[in-house]
Amino acid sequence: MTNLYVPKLTTIKSIVTENGANDIKTFELVFKDDNDLNEFKYIPGQFAELTIFGKGECPIGIASSPTESGSLKFTVKKMGTVTAALHNLDVGSTVGIRGPLGNSWPVEAMKEKNIVIVGGGFAFSTLRSLIEYLIADEYRSYYKDITVIYGNRSKSEVLYKSDLERWQQRNDINVVLTLDRAEDGWNGKVGFVAPIVKEVAPSSENAIAVICGPPIMIKTSIPELEALQFTDEQILSSLEMRMKCGVGKCGRCNVGNKFVCADGPIFSRAELKQMPGEY
Amino acid sequence: MTIQAQNDDIVNNVKDIAKRLLEEGSVDLIIGYTKGTIPLKAPPFFVKKPEDVERLTWDNLGYTNLAKYLLVKRKKKIEDKEVDLKVGIIAKGCVGRAIVQLAVEKQLKRENVMIIGFPCNGLIDTKRIEKELSGKEILNASVQNDEIIVKGKDFEKIYPFEEYTMALCKTCKNRTPLVLDVLAGENNNTTVMDDFFDVTTMEAQTPEQKWEHINGVLGDCIRCNACRQACPVCYCNLCFVDQNKPIWFDKTFDRADIFVFHLIRSLHLAGRCVSCGACYGACPVGIDLNVLNRKLEKLAKERFDFVAGTNIETLPPMMAFKMDDSQEFMVEE
Amino acid sequence: MNEKILLKEKISDVFDALKGENDIIAPVKTDWGIEFRQIENPEDIALDYLNSKVPPKAIWLPKVETLYEYEIDGKDVKIKTPPEKLGKKVIVLGIRPCDAHSIKILDTFFKQGSFEDDLFQKRKENLSFIGLGCNSPRETCFCTSVAGSPFNKQDVDVFLTDLGEKYLVETISDNGEALIQQLPWLEDSSEADIELAKEQERLAEDSIKTQVNLENTSKLLDNNFYNAVWDEISATCLGCGSCSFFCPTCHCFDVIDENDYANHRGRRIRVWDTCQSPLFTLQTSGYNPRTSQKERCRQRLEHKFCYYPENYGIVGCVGCGRCIAYCPVNNDVRDIIAKVNNIEPRTEEAGKT
Repeated sequence: MTNLYVPKLTTIKSIVTENGANDIKTFELVFKDDNDLNEFKYIPGQFAELTIFGKGECPIGIASSPTESGSLKFTVKKMGTVTAALHNLDVGSTVGIRGPLGNSWPVEAMKEKNIVIVGGGFAFSTLRSLIEYLIADEYRSYYKDITVIYGNRSKSEVLYKSDLERWQQRNDINVVLTLDRAEDGWNGKVGFVAPIVKEVAPSSENAIAVICGPPIMIKTSIPELEALQFTDEQILSSLEMRMKCGVGKCGRCNVGNKFVCADGPIFSRAELKQMPGEY
Repeated sequence: MTIQAQNDDIVNNVKDIAKRLLEEGSVDLIIGYTKGTIPLKAPPFFVKKPEDVERLTWDNLGYTNLAKYLLVKRKKKIEDKEVDLKVGIIAKGCVGRAIVQLAVEKQLKRENVMIIGFPCNGLIDTKRIEKELSGKEILNASVQNDEIIVKGKDFEKIYPFEEYTMALCKTCKNRTPLVLDVLAGENNNTTVMDDFFDVTTMEAQTPEQKWEHINGVLGDCIRCNACRQACPVCYCNLCFVDQNKPIWFDKTFDRADIFVFHLIRSLHLAGRCVSCGACYGACPVGIDLNVLNRKLEKLAKERFDFVAGTNIETLPPMMAFKMDDSQEFMVEE
Repeated sequence: MNEKILLKEKISDVFDALKGENDIIAPVKTDWGIEFRQIENPEDIALDYLNSKVPPKAIWLPKVETLYEYEIDGKDVKIKTPPEKLGKKVIVLGIRPCDAHSIKILDTFFKQGSFEDDLFQKRKENLSFIGLGCNSPRETCFCTSVAGSPFNKQDVDVFLTDLGEKYLVETISDNGEALIQQLPWLEDSSEADIELAKEQERLAEDSIKTQVNLENTSKLLDNNFYNAVWDEISATCLGCGSCSFFCPTCHCFDVIDENDYANHRGRRIRVWDTCQSPLFTLQTSGYNPRTSQKERCRQRLEHKFCYYPENYGIVGCVGCGRCIAYCPVNNDVRDIIAKVNNIEPRTEEAGKT
């Protein structure tokens, strides 16, 4: 009966440390009950509330794509009590999960369009989900050109290194990686994300741009997209807000007449402009 | 002088001074009390324009400790530089004490505050009156001569003023601020020492009686934190209630959680509480646990000869250490 | 629907007749005011009251509610949902029309979206309301300004009108009909009774002095989010949250894990919370989009009088006036709406982001 607030149980199957500072890890979770797995149908961009029993719950974007069946991946940075507790868990530990929650990247509306994906830092996790979905065998033909621009402060902070390598080897997706500063052994571009967006200059014609990253990156990159004639309806972003219930009932994430956990977290720039600046 | 006459005096003096200060530019803002939209309320009121001083009142209903509003940094721009606003506070004794305590604790700059002290003649215990009226609606209330006259749709009740003042006002020895800049009236402080009779009465009770009293008083707490929000010396950026590293206790309405909140908050106020009763005034369910704070005030006086908010030079006991401080709790003396 | 008469001295008979399958909740006198409590002894029922301090929302939105319990066993976890006590039916006797209406507003909110809050729904399904018309609305009441009235009968199952020594009993819903059938000893009413009841209704509506004009408020609130009027409105607000706790339509809650570390178990609960708390929107990074009391004060008012109308077409307020009565600094919502209504019309608000 209390399905809304009771988590399903999963086991940690694998843990991958994503960065040199050792505070970002990707957890692969497997449902204990197969029924739960079958019911968990999600679309890239959605998130789930992860419960660390004995500590609490936190909302994390789903990093895996629904095309990667059998397990779910979450990339989590150690920030507070709950995420720190998650980082202390081993393979085999139990994690609760409630989801999928929130709206998603509009993969239907994106069909027949060129997709531009701009990401920075560790906000890339739901972008990974989107990319894997778009290039999956059963879906790739629906989408036109896919351009990915992904920036980081340093090489050790780049997430999903093996996935990036795999994508770069494909010829149906253009992956441009950049670092803030040059480093030994780095073959990609050097520069902040905003000037790289300008340089790559993806066309805004029949395109949708998806942007996720630290506030400063978003603040500087959006003008570049606007200069390329991207309209407010063409630019999408994923919002972060303090959340508790994750299902639009507790009122915490209410901004304007929207609930970030239920009406979002993905909003177009046009929608964001309608909302008061309380996010 | 009757209470009513005293109040008229106070209000006239306060208005004159407030107007003058605003006109001269000695202050940018004056904070006092004004008439409420419903009976028995006198909300805080911010005056920026001299003509608005007409709305300032004093009718024994100003529960809010106005010093609380000094915790907000207020600035103005003078030729591109940001400068602190000078704020005038219409201060009864306990408000003055709170300002001094905050100055000593470095939460405000004394030079930015103009303490306009006045001789307070006590606050009406409106919660007691409401309780005795058992939910009947009060349509009109006033103090005439020395009586509180309360009228409703089909009743009129008269309460003797002295008896129906707040408990803390009855034991108050500090009605006019000791530290002030301007005095609106005549100092009405008594030289009678505080005998802490309210505290000694409870000290004489058995533990069971004390437990029953506190239990009874705290029974209705809804953990709204109004007491904390209203208290001028509660200003922690992250209150112990809200900490989650570690979580000290839970946010439920369990007896244990309610107790812990009130007892620890009292302890955090040890030697700092100025007995203004703003907590009681703000509490929507009328909890008055000030006997605990008074007990701690008694201890501060006995052991450290300290009374909060009476001297701008002296550090409170929890902020200073003297070689002859009492150590009987850990050393045999 | 035949109107019946219930003599006041027979209230305990009503209690005895209905208590079998139901929990009866009614106003009782407590030390500090009228409260809605579960009745064990019908002598405690105090229907001669204006309104309770705490609204009866604690009946359908408990102050503390256990969502589930868990036990940790090494790396494994067992989850237990608490035993359902929700099966028992609840009759709220003597509820005022404003409080009865509040559950409709809450229902509109909890129903929307892709998830339905079954805890709330289950409690709501088990509720019956025997409403009581307000012969003497308070000075602070303004239900008529928010699509309500002191004799609004739409949201209850049975409606009582106080006629002095007796109540006129009107059956409103099928559920109400079922209740009335358990009271076959109710007397018949007379024309005079019905006339008197109508008279009470007329007097009551006329006596509501406060009119709050909400015609343009939603639009004004939408267009003036950054207006300086908010500095004035929020200047004295202490952020205590009393307004939220006493409001029948405030529903925000906190979800907390209570952990019994020593025994490797715990429970997840939800408790009443308020957007007035500084912690409400504080993020783990330390960033807080609502940094000061001004933003938080604004949020509550915008939510009730702007976002609710925008999302659901109704105002999120029943005009009960409790926030006016219990605000420690007398922030009066009627004055606040008037201030908003008086904002000078201006051209397009400069950039919102």
